Order: sequence, then structure tokens, then C-alpha cells
Amino acid sequence: MFDVPQACSGIEAHLGDRFVRPPAFYGMIMDRSTVARRLGVFCLSVFLCCVEAQAATPAQGWRIDEAQTSIGFTIDAVGFPTTHGHFAHYRGRLLIDFDRPAKSYTTFTVDAASVDVGSASFNDFVKSSVLLDVERFPTMSFASTQVEKVDAHTARVTGNLTLLGVTKPITLTVDVATDPAAKGRTVAFVAKGRIQRSDFGMMFGIPLIDDALEITVKTRALSDE
Amino acid sequence: MNKATTVWPLSLRIAHWLNAALVIGALGLGAFMVLAVHNAATRFELTQTHKSIGVSVLVLTVLRLCLRSVMRAPKPEPAARSLAMIAKAVHAGLYILLLLLPLSGWLMVTITPVRVPTVVFGLFELPYPLAPDIARFHLAHAAHIVLAVALTALVVLHVAAALVHAWVWRDRTLARMWLRAG
Repeated sequence: MFDVPQACSGIEAHLGDRFVRPPAFYGMIMDRSTVARRLGVFCLSVFLCCVEAQAATPAQGWRIDEAQTSIGFTIDAVGFPTTHGHFAHYRGRLLIDFDRPAKSYTTFTVDAASVDVGSASFNDFVKSSVLLDVERFPTMSFASTQVEKVDAHTARVTGNLTLLGVTKPITLTVDVATDPAAKGRTVAFVAKGRIQRSDFGMMFGIPLIDDALEITVKTRALSDE
Repeated sequence: MNKATTVWPLSLRIAHWLNAALVIGALGLGAFMVLAVHNAATRFELTQTHKSIGVSVLVLTVLRLCLRSVMRAPKPEPAARSLAMIAKAVHAGLYILLLLLPLSGWLMVTITPVRVPTVVFGLFELPYPLAPDIARFHLAHAAHIVLAVALTALVVLHVAAALVHAWVWRDRTLARMWLRAG
């Protein structure tokens, strides 16, 4: 049923952060990999928000809008159409401090085998040992190390990407958009970054298939209030 | 003349029409996927099918040549000497291209840095005997296109000649290759 221990660990870390933050801190948690786990987290989040409300903490509870969330990439090749792909299964956590952006933090763990590039046999090829090598490296992950505010709507997030077992720093530019109509109850994030896959030892097809690929992570958080 | 000796053996007739269907399919699919398909997944799928058809064209052509060497081909219908020589050249050209075009494709998929396994109709994997070499890959790619255009031209000529035999000269050239010939 629910993978409670895993879900709880996320909540606890998140709570720990929240208690040491000033009241203006908006904590966000995103945890996703299976419907059951998401449901479990959602229920726990609602429960914890109620507990916090009793403790008179003005922090908002947020949940991820799954319909507006995607972890995607595009890569170009010579004599072949641009390949667009995304990962269906992942777990992500996002703690946002609007007043002190540097205190914000995010991690994502992606199930490599959940890659979808549009057809079954193409998926199988991308999962094979020459590219994602999902048997040896079932997950890829990102953990932020630095968040800088660029302007009112943009942040620069630096962090460590682990791909094919190799960890290297990458930088993502994140557009942050609040929906005025929703009175601050939704925040949309679009994180984009370019990586050189050769940095991670993924040499297949270079130079016919580009070394550089574009990563785009889109997500939208909704306030429960 | 005895009718039986003027008709192609059934095995060669079947092989001819099967080869015709496969090679027209491979040529059409190859042109379509490269010129008209701009979706990566669809292009990938069609390329796998194209490679499978190409391998079957190669195997069938070798089989046809073996069969032809052991079976008696019917004598050509009477025609002017120059036309008979052109016909012979076109037929030789067709056989050569039916071998070279799939072989150039095999060379391409072997020496490309983007080495995608060729599993022929999901049955067996084509061996890739050479190492990737991008410069030679570009040459093989160019050769594959030139050979494809040349084969298309010869197929058009071959079909046109067959129709002229059947409808203008009204001889048995097409009839004796027809599946229900004789």
C-alpha cells in the first residue's frame, strides 16, 4: 500500500526546515513516484498543515499540480528530427523561501526507465546500455547547492546532477510565475538548463547526435488554502 | 515454340514479384521517412522497418541469382538487337543495384557513430563487422542516396518497358513473368 516510511522521511526533513525558518517562509513539498505514495504524502501534508494551523504558523501548504508537471529534455541530431522526451516517474522536493531565496532548496530523483521518447522501440533504445543504461543506473538525480535570485521572476539554481553514476554541477535558470487571478495560490516554475552529456560519460553518437541537450522541468504548485 | 520453355519457373516468378514489392516498399519508405517524417519516434520506428525490408531485399536477390543460375530462364521474345542489349543492361543494372543498395545501407548502419541494432523483423540481429567511422559514414550515406535514385530510375524504365511489351508490341514478355503465366 502506501510507502509510508519513504513519504515520512520527506515530510520530516521538510518540517525540520520549516521550524527553523521565519514565519514568512513558504514551505513546499513535492513528492511523487506512485499514485499511492502521492496520495499518502498528500494526506500527511494536509494533516500536518492542520497541526501547524493549530500552532498558529502562517505557513501555507502546497501541493503539486500533476497535470502541469513534467521533466523533459530535447536533443538535436544531424539528419534526424529533434528528439523530445520526458520522464514519467520521479520524486521531487521543493522548499521555497521567497524572502530569502538562497535558503530555498530542491531535489529530484528520476526513474531512468520511465523515459518516454514517443514509441516503445525508441524507448527501449534510449534505455539501452549505450544511452541511459537503466539496468546499471536506474535513477538519475539533482540536488541544488545554491539558489540565487536574478530578478523578480527569475532564479538561478546550481546543483549536482548525477547521471550514469557521475555527479557534476549544472546550472538551471528558473522562471517563477505567480498567477494574479489565483491571488498567489499558484506558483509556476519552469527550470531550463543545458548539459554536455559527455561530462557524464554518455558519448554515444557524438558528433552526429549533439553532445549538448536541453533539460526543461516544469511544475506548478497549488496552495491548499 | 513449346509454351513451357517460354515461361519463367514459378519460383523465380514468385521471387520476382516479392522482390518488386519489397524494393518498392523500401524505396518509398526510405524517401518518405527522410523527406516527410519530422517526428523523432516515428522516424526511428520507420528506419527499423526500412532496414528490415532492405535486408530481405538483399537475401531475396541473392536467392534469385542462385535460383537463376540453376534454373533455365526463358529465351527473350524476338526484338531488335540494340533493344535486346539495352534490356540485358537494365536487367544487369537492376540485379547489381538490388545488391549494392542494401549493402550500402548495411555499411551505413555499421560505420555510423549512431549505431542502432538492426533486428530484422524482430527475428535476428544483423552483424556490424566494421568499426564506426564518421567520414566513411558520410560517403556511404551519399552512395546510398545515389544508388536509391539510380535504382528508382531503373525500376521506372523496367516497368515502362514491360508495359510497352504488353500493350504496344503485344508480346509475351510480361505474360510469362505473370504469377498465373502459362
